[in-house]
Amino acid sequence: MTELIQTIVFGLLIGGVYALLASGLTLIFGVMNVINIAHGAFLILAAFLTFSLWSGLGIDPLAAIVITTPAMLAFGWLVYVLTVRPIRRAPPSSSVLLTFGLALVLEAAMGLIWGNDSHSVRPPYFTQSFHVSQIVLPKAQVYACALAVVVLGGLWLFLARSWSGRAIRAAAVNPQGAELVGIDIVRVSAITFAIGVATVGAGGSLISVLYPFLPGAHYIWIARLLGIIVLGGMGSLRGALIGALLLGLAETFTQTYLSAQWATAVPYAIILVVLLVRPQGIMGTRLREDVAA
Amino acid sequence: MSGRTSGHFPTRVLAACLGFAAVAALAVGCGGGGGGSSSGPIKIGISLPLTGDFSEPGGAAKQGYEIWAATVNKQGGLLGRQVQLDIKDDASDQNTVVSDYNALISRDNVNLLLGTFSSLLNLPASAVAERNHMLYVEPAGGAPEMFSRGFKYLFFAQQATANHQGDLFVKYILGLPPSERPKTAAYPSIDDPFAIPVIDSIRKKFEAAGIKTVYHDIYPPSTSNFDSIASQVKAANPDLIAHGAVFDDGIGFIRALSKVGFEPRYFFETSAPSGAAQFSNGVGIKNTEAIFYAVSNTPEAHTPGNQQFVADFKKKFGGLPAEDAADAFATGQVLQKAVEEVGSIDDQAALADYLRSNSVDTILGPLRWDDTGAPHGQFLIGQWQNGTAEVVLPKSAATTNKIENRRPGSS
Repeated sequence: MTELIQTIVFGLLIGGVYALLASGLTLIFGVMNVINIAHGAFLILAAFLTFSLWSGLGIDPLAAIVITTPAMLAFGWLVYVLTVRPIRRAPPSSSVLLTFGLALVLEAAMGLIWGNDSHSVRPPYFTQSFHVSQIVLPKAQVYACALAVVVLGGLWLFLARSWSGRAIRAAAVNPQGAELVGIDIVRVSAITFAIGVATVGAGGSLISVLYPFLPGAHYIWIARLLGIIVLGGMGSLRGALIGALLLGLAETFTQTYLSAQWATAVPYAIILVVLLVRPQGIMGTRLREDVAA
Repeated sequence: MSGRTSGHFPTRVLAACLGFAAVAALAVGCGGGGGGSSSGPIKIGISLPLTGDFSEPGGAAKQGYEIWAATVNKQGGLLGRQVQLDIKDDASDQNTVVSDYNALISRDNVNLLLGTFSSLLNLPASAVAERNHMLYVEPAGGAPEMFSRGFKYLFFAQQATANHQGDLFVKYILGLPPSERPKTAAYPSIDDPFAIPVIDSIRKKFEAAGIKTVYHDIYPPSTSNFDSIASQVKAANPDLIAHGAVFDDGIGFIRALSKVGFEPRYFFETSAPSGAAQFSNGVGIKNTEAIFYAVSNTPEAHTPGNQQFVADFKKKFGGLPAEDAADAFATGQVLQKAVEEVGSIDDQAALADYLRSNSVDTILGPLRWDDTGAPHGQFLIGQWQNGTAEVVLPKSAATTNKIENRRPGSS
């Protein structure tokens, strides 16, 4: 029984962090129809920024979120204006190629700035744990998951309660309709892209504590995050949360009860099965493409 | 009309000029390609994982190769010609490494090759060299399957293949008094052609000696979260862990063990602990204590030329060289010796024949090979003690007389 609870705890803790990382990716797709392959590279960039703040100025990586989040927000805005906006009317495949190229450029730039070797951020709590009876709760994971919940909560409040948030939701549901009622779609897209990148500002700070990282690590992350948003339903924030928790649980259950060797294959097999039953993902909606245009 | 006519004429002239230039370039290319050129610098082609998963050791190998080339050139070059390295980045990708070596041979017309990092990349890269009948000495591809393909041009420039990396450690553990000898062991390993044979070899020897296996599993290279694996290992409560790691996974697993609150009495890990400060920065100095690992070289080793290599490295890059840098330097030394003894780079089969029949002194010590290109020597065993990486076995090469027999925090 202890083993089962421990496995669930590990799965939920890591799933919470995955949810934060995937939220920006699904938000950008939902509003802009852009599959941002550079999302993983933005995440690693934020982790490197956190590393510099921690090693250079002694700032705790979790406290560094208040710096990395606005920094990545500004960076996201800049990237949108310089690269994504010019191709906003091009087919989605163009954005895939563009953001993949962007990821490669970022990887090379990070290698030049920080070096292509492994980096780690080690605050005092990085290997400490809370113990509840026989259950282990790693402090870094608990803090990271709690912060992920706070950031996701803030994002939800922004989308639900602010005018900009409502404009983003309107643009996601019906861009033509939103434009008709006076919403500036280009401006909304810029805000969405910047917010999507800002979420990995927080996420990068969190994963810098959890794992060692290097510039090339973005490939693993983008593969995982794409899996999550496809499972949850592309464009659905709630879907990203459910998909992330399911993937976290699938990984830990496979490692514990099957074999670590299957820890990559089984979660993706689950995604495949879900998509066979619900091609639009758990929370995704089917579009009638014959009338969508 | 006249405009169109005048526009066509230069186009045809341009096309003719381009055609002539292409034919001329091909003729020049054919005449001076491969190892045919006997003047100018000797071009040596290398592909390394400078980005991607293996960028850590790949970058270190590049440093080692660069120090070797600078050393050779300072001494007057190879056969009186300066050495020029042509290094490409394979991004830790098997397809790219094949493209790189094909391009180095057929497009860049390099005279000689040096190998890449890791068995994963050397497996396909060495096949390209073999197909082109070019000598391929490599610094980091010790998986047994490297040497089961009947290749004639392949040589591994370390002391032993992967399945012998842990031999001295096993011998040491089995030689302990019964009260100190572990009774149970766990064997987690990354799915890697180098790490698995090391761990499998250790496991089989321990099992034969009566040490019970309580955990044995292989995880995919994409694994980043080790909490569940560490929790499983903790539940199995082994006296000894032998962990097959590459680098980041080695750090991640040690951190996860600390998080779940478990330390075995004995801990052996492949590759990662030889990463010097990168390793201790990753896990924290406190967590390095008493970790065993196999290693081909240390900065303190008193092998011929090692201290000069360390001094040159410090001068050029600052800090101490990682093991992978030393391995790359030694790989260059092996190639250099073969070329100097044969006296030519034209007959690469002769270079290979020389290495099959002779021992070469390197900063790793003397290296010698069998017909398959597999080396026959013995790795050193290192151990982290008080934040320093020491050599503890064999006694003749040890940098300290002390061996720590208990990880802090173990029961």
